[in-house]
Amino acid sequence: MATIGHNNLNAKLVLLGDMGAGKSSLVLRFVKGQFLEFQESTIGAAFFSQTLAVNDATVKFEIWDTAGQERYHSLAPMYYRGAAAAIIVYDITSTDSFSRAKKWVQELQKQGNPNMVMALAGNKADLEDKRKVTAEEARVYAEENGLFFMETSAKSAANVNEIFYEIAKRLPRAQPAQNPPGMVLVDRPAEGSRAASCCS
Amino acid sequence: MYGTQSKIDLALEYQSQIQILRPSIHSRRANLTVKFQDLYGFTVEGNVDDVNVLNEVREKVRERNRVWWALEASKGANWYLHSTNIGQGGGRALKSSLKLSSLANAITLKRLIRQGIPPVLRPKVWFSLSGAAKKKSTVPESYYDDLTKAVEGKVTAATRQIDHVRTDNNNNVFDIHEIWDWFSDHHLLWGLTLLAWFPLDLPRTFPGHPWLDTAEGHAALRRVLVGYSFRDSDVGYCQGLNYVAALLLLVMKTEEDAFWMLAVLLENVLVNDCYTNNLSGCHVEQRVFKDLLAKKCPRIATHLEAMEFDVSLVATEWFLCLFSKSLPSETTLRVWDVLFYEGAKVIFNVALAIFKMKEDELLLTHHVGEVISVLQRTTHHLFDPDDLLTVAFDKIGSMTSNTISKERKKQEPEVMKELDQRLRRLNSLNVNGK
Ligand SMILES: Nc1nc2c(ncn2[C@@H]2O[C@H](COP(=O)(O)OP(=O)(O)OP(=O)(O)O)[C@@H](O)[C@H]2O)c(=O)[nH]1
Ligand SMILES: [Mg+2]
Repeated sequence: MATIGHNNLNAKLVLLGDMGAGKSSLVLRFVKGQFLEFQESTIGAAFFSQTLAVNDATVKFEIWDTAGQERYHSLAPMYYRGAAAAIIVYDITSTDSFSRAKKWVQELQKQGNPNMVMALAGNKADLEDKRKVTAEEARVYAEENGLFFMETSAKSAANVNEIFYEIAKRLPRAQPAQNPPGMVLVDRPAEGSRAASCCS
Repeated sequence: MYGTQSKIDLALEYQSQIQILRPSIHSRRANLTVKFQDLYGFTVEGNVDDVNVLNEVREKVRERNRVWWALEASKGANWYLHSTNIGQGGGRALKSSLKLSSLANAITLKRLIRQGIPPVLRPKVWFSLSGAAKKKSTVPESYYDDLTKAVEGKVTAATRQIDHVRTDNNNNVFDIHEIWDWFSDHHLLWGLTLLAWFPLDLPRTFPGHPWLDTAEGHAALRRVLVGYSFRDSDVGYCQGLNYVAALLLLVMKTEEDAFWMLAVLLENVLVNDCYTNNLSGCHVEQRVFKDLLAKKCPRIATHLEAMEFDVSLVATEWFLCLFSKSLPSETTLRVWDVLFYEGAKVIFNVALAIFKMKEDELLLTHHVGEVISVLQRTTHHLFDPDDLLTVAFDKIGSMTSNTISKERKKQEPEVMKELDQRLRRLNSLNVNGK
């Protein structure tokens, strides 16, 4: 069991995004350092945990890797409820998946934990020649919406640890002792992340 | 080229490739994790005890075989067809004037099925007892062939998701060069057939299985899934069905019979709308399950609730994939044996049993991760189906299909209200958003 001390914190993290965008692959790369050419499609959601040391603290991520198919959308609140962080994943070779990512961002801004640290991951960055979404377009969108953005590749491992590390750094440090495990209740906004913008 | 090979004997194809791996002397000594193939060709990881359990299960299967054949010999082939199904239509059946022998058969049959249908007889017994045979008999002989031919090359929302074609820029045209690249990258000899698009969910269904994960297996699975999506456009294609259909293919041996089993499962056995647009049926089942857990395993329910652990976090997958992603194959199929005879309430029995079996361990958990690892460890190692089914049917206490139907009726309006509210909130987001 994870201890919740001054320098240790548990953070619930959820991955959202279109089916096949590479959510499970990112988690598998981060947790086990592996990549599978054919990753089983996720039904409902899968749970993983992984600990990261960041500066003076240890962050234990409790990761919910959700199913991407549109109709599974109605199950998502169960997984993002109380999450301290979210990675919204799209596939750089698909504009559809980018639109879908934007919808997730919108939903989290309205329904999620207001201090949630949100990251946008443009995955499959190794498939440069099939690219449909430019990094610039995504960066601008992310900036406007107070997310931080990285292009990742679960296949080559590029930026995978980095994105989790970056999230860990941005998580609020204050961790009142009475918090239920698995929840990070924040009493100040996450360092470096802007407040969610509304109706610009 | 795809529609022509629909009736191959699938089981024989892959069974020839299955070897029983015996643990080496080294692994026996060190109690290492070994990889081995189970009865249906899945590679599983386990320790030496697991291998031994699996060998015992094989022996038990042989024993069941003898019992079933002896019954056929004494009562005649298809004797089970003359028994009344006391599982699904209990009340009605008892009221009607039925023959005593048929009732006796029904009682025997229910008990026998809970003890397991031998794999060789599964296709035949499932097909008749589930109602699939009857369903098939109401349409022309050529229904399935016609269906697969008619849908060949058609592109719909469902085929796009099975195949995972990207329809970028909002049109339905896919880039033929990209597809060609993909095929040559993967050295597939499928060529530029009508079916040339990304079959994403096919290789992602039990990857590595010696038959399912071959071009032939993918093609068969695709035909069943696409065929069904045309039969019922409300269901279309729902992720999760790929696993269910794949296992049906392995059991039924012919693609057409697998198709009819899928049809009877979705149309008659399971509750409505489990797989349709917002999975409302699945939401209903989850609420019923939570209530049942509180009734049948109150200590666990209270403990988990105090931890803010929502059992649906894990149980949703069980209900949607009918345990095929969590339990070892023979154990899953033993559950399905009963499911096809007694109905969808069986899923509750089994899901409750998984919690019940680990009551003591679960009560010691303090953390979401611990709960999940207890449950996963349990399900993945349930190589002996009887361990699970004994708890499911003897320790949970009786639940009739009737009481469960009532529970569902109670939950339905709440679920609908909740889903509706959510939809409205999301729509208002889209209107107000940029
Ligand atoms: N080239 C490349 N392929 C990737 C990468 N990440 C994932 N894939 C492949 O894309 C496919 C889908 O990946 P998954 O990780 O299963 O996608 P998912 O988002 O979890 O999909 P669902 O579970 O269906 O929602 C798999 O076949 C992966 O091998 C990547 O960075 N580069
Ligand atoms: Mg996944």
